[in-house]
Amino acid sequence: MELGGLGWIFAVNLIIWTGLFLFLLRIERRIAGLEAGGKGR
Amino acid sequence: MPSPASIWVASARAVFTKDWRCELRSRYALNAIALFAVTTLVVTSAALGPAGTNKTLAINVLPAMLWLILLFAAAAGLPRAFVHEEESHTAIALRLAAPPSALFVGKLAFGVSLLLGIEALVAPLYLAVMSLEVASPGQLVIALVAGGYGLAVGSVLIAALASQARGRSTLFSVLAFPVLMPLLLIAIELTRNAVAGDPAGVALPQLLLYDGSVTIAGLMLFPAVWNP
Amino acid sequence: MTRTISLGLRFGLWLVMAGCIWGAFFYAWSDPAFIGQSSRILFFHVPMAWTSFVAYFAAAVWSARYLWGGRRMRHDRAAAAAVECGVLFGVLATITGSLWARIEWGAYWNWDPRQTSIVVVLLFYGAYLALRSAMADREIRARISSVYALIALVVTPFFYFIVPRITESLHPEPVINAERKLDVDPRMFQVLIASALTYTVLFFWMHNLRARSQALVDATLDDPS
Repeated sequence: MELGGLGWIFAVNLIIWTGLFLFLLRIERRIAGLEAGGKGR
Repeated sequence: MPSPASIWVASARAVFTKDWRCELRSRYALNAIALFAVTTLVVTSAALGPAGTNKTLAINVLPAMLWLILLFAAAAGLPRAFVHEEESHTAIALRLAAPPSALFVGKLAFGVSLLLGIEALVAPLYLAVMSLEVASPGQLVIALVAGGYGLAVGSVLIAALASQARGRSTLFSVLAFPVLMPLLLIAIELTRNAVAGDPAGVALPQLLLYDGSVTIAGLMLFPAVWNP
Repeated sequence: MTRTISLGLRFGLWLVMAGCIWGAFFYAWSDPAFIGQSSRILFFHVPMAWTSFVAYFAAAVWSARYLWGGRRMRHDRAAAAAVECGVLFGVLATITGSLWARIEWGAYWNWDPRQTSIVVVLLFYGAYLALRSAMADREIRARISSVYALIALVVTPFFYFIVPRITESLHPEPVINAERKLDVDPRMFQVLIASALTYTVLFFWMHNLRARSQALVDATLDDPS
């Protein structure tokens, strides 16, 4: 894949989005745990 | 038995006269505003000289400078209107004595009269030291009155908010700047048209619309600020 | 069961957003009126700007519900969370816009009306958050900051009249255009709309998480056992 080409930028964008997505999922799980009265994590 | 409307008018007037009486005793806001305005005026004048003789400067720079002087003067004096009520612990008595909308109107009348008085002092002085010739003076007076009213109503409303928080005086400028920015931009445009002798255009109805909508918003929102 | 459904919905969001990213680079057309492939930033920049304005209105709506809807703390937390998420999207919109402006107009910043309006929105957000941080009592803070959010809503429309008269805009208007209605490539339009909707959903998800975590903080402050 050409560096700086469309495919490369697409891959970077996808990685950033997946990272944000997993981060939000993890936060949501911790919040749900705390709301249920647990310690989170 | 007096009607509710006449009680309302009487309490608004009582707040207005009380504020002026306190002000004339301490002269805090009056001194702060007048000194602030004159100091900034002297600095601008010393830096620019009689800039009014230069047509480009007269039209493009001087109207903006005039409104900045007025903005700083308003920010120096008007926040006092509510801060001193909190500091002297008279806010509770005021809550009992007057309905919130009457209190707002009374405070607003005080702020408007104070600011228009300062404008009557500063604007002729400014025109003189800058040797600025105004093509349509009537339009300048309209811009000063309508703009000064908007400056006062915005400042009084924000002052009521800021008086409830810590760091009141710094917070006032942070809160007031975005709210007053459209007013200043319109007032500067109108003043520029007056100096250049151009017709007022859409700037005048927009200025009046700003004044009207902020006044209505203030009347609607002030009870929520004032009463817990 | 509900857990499976909610996980499924979240995974659906991931898939749609991934689809939008794919569409932005491979499905939609690159507008030849702009330098190179630079028009593709549109599919990220416009939804971000759009979302920051959605946040602005959402904050005002929740503030009004707080003031006239029974003074419930959760409405105040929702308004504050909307502003906080709005700051994030607004800053990202500003950055992506500046990058594009550097390529197309040659400078990162030139006080284009659109740039001015995003700065005004960010100023209001900053002032709102400064006001909140200056008040310790939760009830007073909710009341005063709700009022400020509503004042901001009354004042901002004036910028839309004034700012365009002060400076000429170079900003392209590919979607909402007074003269040439919808004169835009259909594929570009599809990706843009899908992207804007997905960003709005993402905003409300993040907003929900922020409001819930603040509710936990408030509950701990009330009962620190």
